Amino acid sequence: MKTKLNGFLTLLLALMVQITFAQEKTVTGKVSDASGPLPGVTVIIKGTKTGTQTDFDGKYSIRANTGAVLQFSFVGMKTVSQAVGASNIMNIVMQEDAESLEEVVITAVGISRKEKELGYSVQTVKAEDIRTKPNADVVNSLAGATSGVSITSSAGDAGASTFMTIRGSASITGNNQPLFIVNGLPIITGGGYSGVAGVNTSSRSIDINPDDIASVSVLKGGAATALYGVRAANGAVIITTKSGKNLTARKIEFNSSVGFSQVSQLPAMQKKYAQGNNGVWAGGSAFSYGPKISSLEYDGDETYKWDPNGRLVATGAGNGTPAKYYDPYEFFQTGATTNNGLSISNGNENGSFFFSLSNLDQEGIVPNNQFGRTTVRLNATTKLSEMINFGVDMAYTNSRAVQIQKGSNVSGVMLGLLRTATTFDNSAGYEFPDGTQRNYRNGGGYDNPYWVSNNVKFEEDVNRFTGGVNFNIKFSDFFNIGYNGGVDWYSRRYIDQYKIGSRGNPLGYLGEFQSYSRTFNSDLLFNFQKEFSEDFNAKLTLGNNFYGSFSKNLFGDADGLSIPDFYQLSNSATNTTSSGESQQRTMAVFADLQLAYKNMLFLGLTGRNDWATTMPEANDDAFYPSASLGFIFTEIEGLKNNSILSFGKLRGSVARTANIAGPYNTSNYYNATSTADGWTSGVNFPYAGQTGFQVTSGLGNPDLKHETQDSWEIGTDLRFFKNRFGVDFTYFSNKNTDLLMSVPIAPSSGFTSVFLNAASMESKGIEISVTASPVKNENFTWDILANFTKFTNKVTSLAEGVDNISLPGGFTVPQVRAVVGREYGSVFGEDWYRDENGRVLINDDPTDSYRDGYPMTNSKQGLVAIGDTKPDWTANMTNTFNYKNLSFSFLIDVKSGGMMYNGTAFAMNYFGTSERTGNREVYYTPQGTIDFSTTPAGNIKVFDGVYGHVDANGNGVSSGVTNVTPIVEDQRWFQGQGSNFGGGPSVAAMEDASWVRLRDISISYTFPKISETIKDLNIYVSGKNLWIDTPYSGVDPETSLSGAGNGQGMDYFNSPGSKSYVVGVKMTF
Amino acid sequence: MKNIYKLILKNLVLVLSLLLITTSCSDWIDHDLNVDPDSPANVPMDLLLPSVQQAMGYHLVGNNTVRTNNIWMQQFDGVDRQSYTEARYQLTPADVNNVWNSIYAEIFINLHIIIEKGSVEGLKSPNFVGVAQVLEATTLGIATDLFGDMPYTEALDGSNNVLKPKYDTQQVVYDNIFMLLDNAVTNLNNTSNVLNVKGDVIYNSNISKWKKAANSIKARHLLQLSKKNGNAAYTAALAAVANGFTSNDDDFLVPWEVANKNPINQFMTQRGDIRMGATLVNMLASNSDPRLPFYAEKDGDGNYVGSIPGSQNASASKPGKYNAAETSKSILMSYSELKFIEAECRFVLGLAGAQEAYEAAVAASVLKVTGAANTAWLASNINGVPVTLKNIIEQKYIAGYSTNQPYADYRRTGFPALSVAIGAVIPAIPTRFPYAQDELDYNTANVPSVTISEKVWWNQ
Repeated sequence: MKTKLNGFLTLLLALMVQITFAQEKTVTGKVSDASGPLPGVTVIIKGTKTGTQTDFDGKYSIRANTGAVLQFSFVGMKTVSQAVGASNIMNIVMQEDAESLEEVVITAVGISRKEKELGYSVQTVKAEDIRTKPNADVVNSLAGATSGVSITSSAGDAGASTFMTIRGSASITGNNQPLFIVNGLPIITGGGYSGVAGVNTSSRSIDINPDDIASVSVLKGGAATALYGVRAANGAVIITTKSGKNLTARKIEFNSSVGFSQVSQLPAMQKKYAQGNNGVWAGGSAFSYGPKISSLEYDGDETYKWDPNGRLVATGAGNGTPAKYYDPYEFFQTGATTNNGLSISNGNENGSFFFSLSNLDQEGIVPNNQFGRTTVRLNATTKLSEMINFGVDMAYTNSRAVQIQKGSNVSGVMLGLLRTATTFDNSAGYEFPDGTQRNYRNGGGYDNPYWVSNNVKFEEDVNRFTGGVNFNIKFSDFFNIGYNGGVDWYSRRYIDQYKIGSRGNPLGYLGEFQSYSRTFNSDLLFNFQKEFSEDFNAKLTLGNNFYGSFSKNLFGDADGLSIPDFYQLSNSATNTTSSGESQQRTMAVFADLQLAYKNMLFLGLTGRNDWATTMPEANDDAFYPSASLGFIFTEIEGLKNNSILSFGKLRGSVARTANIAGPYNTSNYYNATSTADGWTSGVNFPYAGQTGFQVTSGLGNPDLKHETQDSWEIGTDLRFFKNRFGVDFTYFSNKNTDLLMSVPIAPSSGFTSVFLNAASMESKGIEISVTASPVKNENFTWDILANFTKFTNKVTSLAEGVDNISLPGGFTVPQVRAVVGREYGSVFGEDWYRDENGRVLINDDPTDSYRDGYPMTNSKQGLVAIGDTKPDWTANMTNTFNYKNLSFSFLIDVKSGGMMYNGTAFAMNYFGTSERTGNREVYYTPQGTIDFSTTPAGNIKVFDGVYGHVDANGNGVSSGVTNVTPIVEDQRWFQGQGSNFGGGPSVAAMEDASWVRLRDISISYTFPKISETIKDLNIYVSGKNLWIDTPYSGVDPETSLSGAGNGQGMDYFNSPGSKSYVVGVKMTF
Repeated sequence: MKNIYKLILKNLVLVLSLLLITTSCSDWIDHDLNVDPDSPANVPMDLLLPSVQQAMGYHLVGNNTVRTNNIWMQQFDGVDRQSYTEARYQLTPADVNNVWNSIYAEIFINLHIIIEKGSVEGLKSPNFVGVAQVLEATTLGIATDLFGDMPYTEALDGSNNVLKPKYDTQQVVYDNIFMLLDNAVTNLNNTSNVLNVKGDVIYNSNISKWKKAANSIKARHLLQLSKKNGNAAYTAALAAVANGFTSNDDDFLVPWEVANKNPINQFMTQRGDIRMGATLVNMLASNSDPRLPFYAEKDGDGNYVGSIPGSQNASASKPGKYNAAETSKSILMSYSELKFIEAECRFVLGLAGAQEAYEAAVAASVLKVTGAANTAWLASNINGVPVTLKNIIEQKYIAGYSTNQPYADYRRTGFPALSVAIGAVIPAIPTRFPYAQDELDYNTANVPSVTISEKVWWNQ
């Protein structure tokens, strides 16, 4: 009441002053800050366009009415508003703006807190930082924006999945991606794991319209996420969407952009040798080990159906049309993207309103690959009474995609393109009039990529609704109740169709899948806050959470179509159906206590107890506490207002978080029978008119416990020179124990795995963020944000007697594994024979079957670790330049280390298409040695290693002498141990996948207020991945064969990455 | 006054909320939800039986092991990719992982469950148990002939936490094969069954055929010990033959259908990396054998051509309709094989009837493969040619195309004479399979260290 009265009186007084003294005069003065005069300060009369700037001495002069309010603003300073009084001189002292420190961030369970109070690290990405980036999936726009976060886009295909981890992985075989929260509700963002074949499907984070996002908080450590209990172990991404809050007038915004994308890096091919084998041209041959293209011409035989120019014959023997090399990459197209968005918002003290509508249509770089998304969002709040605020938030998304086959798959487009013989033109028709396929293997082998892109389709359609209600009942300043409850509901369906004549499904195929997924989340919070004294206040939140998820799917397929091109399940003699269902629930009570002392010391304590249906009844709950402390030491007398160190904070936290088992792991079951051996797609039931079941090969476990993550972090946040320069340093340590995993066991036990709390792993390292503003004045600013991350993510133990296990996403050979004592994600494959120092043995035994001068595959020892996929460190730097209304920024992203299996090139060696196979020309003397006079010198190489041989027991024996035997990598080598198919070891295909890339670059210009209708007009041009520097010889090494899965680091005919450009406009009415 | 209402409201909301939380808690965390709605916790024997039979057909005698050892036996040739690697005698632990996993975690474990279910007091169904024992012995026999020592006495007890079973010697494994088969015959003779055999896709619950199969499999493995047991092996095998198959109608076969195609057929459409081996094709062609058009397809030029081992002749003939059509059956054991066993036993023991058994064996195969008796061809090419061990095993090799037996017999007898493949990475044809990668990884202490050039026990 008192406050209200005061306000009223002030208003009255102001009005009186206005009326009484409204007369224009010249006001002069000087603007300074703690260090002296401030030039370039904008001085405007509030509510008008009249204004001026201070000169070099900080002086200004302006004509204003008495009672008018002058507003002084300067970047990095708090804006000062002061009414013109009786005096004609107004000298102003500006204070530095600690607003960035006062910045409010959304933390766990929607509790908003000032960033400076936090005892743990949180990084925030703003709408403006993602607005111009040409990414359909917002997760891609977070790449390079923060420290501690790793994001891998699986391919350049439109709608391809993303894989995100924060501070490494915390689970061996479970989910390692963070929890996503949108406006307080957890949403499903998984998906996008595709296996080594099939298509790149989307991660469901793609269903979020990036233009709806106001800010994204990345909660990295245990203390930050502890209130999420059993869902907290992988960090959390907290998304807040735009709303009409803080608006005072209606706002209509229109966005439109057009983008183009092209393939980026591609594997190099040899262009010298024609299709054929052993130097002889052979139509239909699998290989490009034919004669030199320059020595061939066409015979012009029009009856030869596989090539419109006829067969290839020696120059002089044909029609004079020389043979030529066909560039397989002409297959790729320039993809186009259009994105349009409209939002309408409004707000006042009684409520707020936000509505948006968007539509995105993307055509990929692979012909017929498409992704489209339409979204609608409505967010509204209203004041029901002085006490009660009520709000709803609803979003609808339709995401649709047409995906094209990729990877290790006879229909995979890269597989078809890169194995196609050099002299075969896939584009000269993929289908004969009789409907059969034209391909380089004369009908065998692999699908012509044009056939695939036109005749093999995977169409996906997702309809999704997320929405909830929230309300807050404020009983007093001391106590309020908050509630937020809602659902995330979606149906996904896909149709997977192969035309008759496809190599993978010669009789045609149709698969139809439908699923329904639903999560429900309810958070009830009792919030108390009390200021005990000026120096000491406390906030307490008591809360309750209910969470449930349910999904059901139905799948039917028809193998072998009776009527061509008619895709209906009934159009087949053999169709099978299956269904699946999964359900789980959790419940929790939690408390969050925040104590603040003197704006200096902030202590946070949280505790949460979780119950879960997926855990054994006797052991279904666990308690997770956390404590964090923030200490702003620059608040200590003596350190206050220091001219160098403007702000300094030490922070530290400890926490325990967790993870639970997925459903149905506590007992044994039987499954509908199916079996396969990796060579063929296998057999299943119904079979011979019967149903069949077999016991599951994984043993359940009634004694499961919760997984535990114990984490701690310490950090400093230091800002210098009035916040012009800041360093934020964090050291973190996560120890994960009792990790649940399906532990592989010897199959001779009758089972191949048992579900156990078996493993432990740790992740520890540093994150450094540097902010700097080297130039900062009214017209021109230069801001730098740089992040550096280095951590180890080691598997410390697996189950007893198990020292490694395979992760999904690899092959029989090689595999991606978790290996005790190594970084999570090691590639396992065969190695060469080596001596005890690790040097490769080069065969020197003329009597054995190995070639002299070449290394030898060690099959005897089986698979061994041949490279870690995790990078040594990552860093990124965003430079932003603002000159008046022009803004220019670019983001450089660096990944150092991390190996990738380049199975693509390894297999291309076998087929004779890789660039490396172009140096095959070799001539021998009658004695069988290389004839150096005729063999091109550039083709001669000497393998690194020492001489040795393999003894009768299959063990390598070194002679200790360095190898100097010259050899040429010829067809025999490449079809032997120089390729995977010839029996070469995977280690030969391991490559460094480091990179430096210009991930994003954008120029944006905001026109000064154009008219009363168009309040704001912004145009921008941006680009993504326009430049990449990498030692990796395949596609863009930001790639994942199996999409969003734990087994990263595999490249086997992966679809290439893309570079893209976008031109856009944003108008505000 | 307003404050009092506020206070009441506040407390009411608090109390109601707490009530809601505590009461709904026990309902919400309903552990019955953690019962998998998609997977039964218990299934009857007749749904397990066809699963095992299908897995045996697919893994043991379908494409996987048979492809590899028929390449080594030069009945096939691997002309591309992994098959070409196999053709040069490189076979890694990872390559045999899937078949090993199926043998234990699909075939044996489900057979053990059948045996357990059929032995429960009050539900005793000895015939079901007997069928399972025949299948177990058959699998164990094929597997040990490829792998040698195997876990058996401690195996298949993972649910009792025996996760690293020890390896039994092949001798112990063989003892168990014979014991299983003897018990099987006893069980199959028992007529008091609570549940009759159902779900049997091999013999359609014909118990007398299962008894013949038990004896036939026993004969196969008694003979396999000829190097170890000498004449005793032949004598014992002959005794078992007497109760074995009596015609082609008794053949021990796993059927395939359009929805579940023959595994070699699947391999040829999905991978296609093998062709007919030159050795087999030449043997058949030189004798104008009527089985050739069934064993092989014509090549592009209309001829039957085999790929010389390791020559990568991709234009050679593909496997034919006998073993590579969509619905070609996979062969666990044939009447013809039994007659070859009889012929060998009689021949080595110097007993009468070797010639007749040999001729009957070839005739049975020709009839089975071609669908016609081809008596004229038999009369001019087989009948009357004096029987020798070489003849017996070479004809058994032809008749045993697309099974594991030629490889077993080759190692035992050295017939037929085979040259080493072009580009071979080891000097001779491998004499066994390596152990599976999963055993090397997860049963490291127990799995014997072997190379594929070491001989299994019965071959030593």
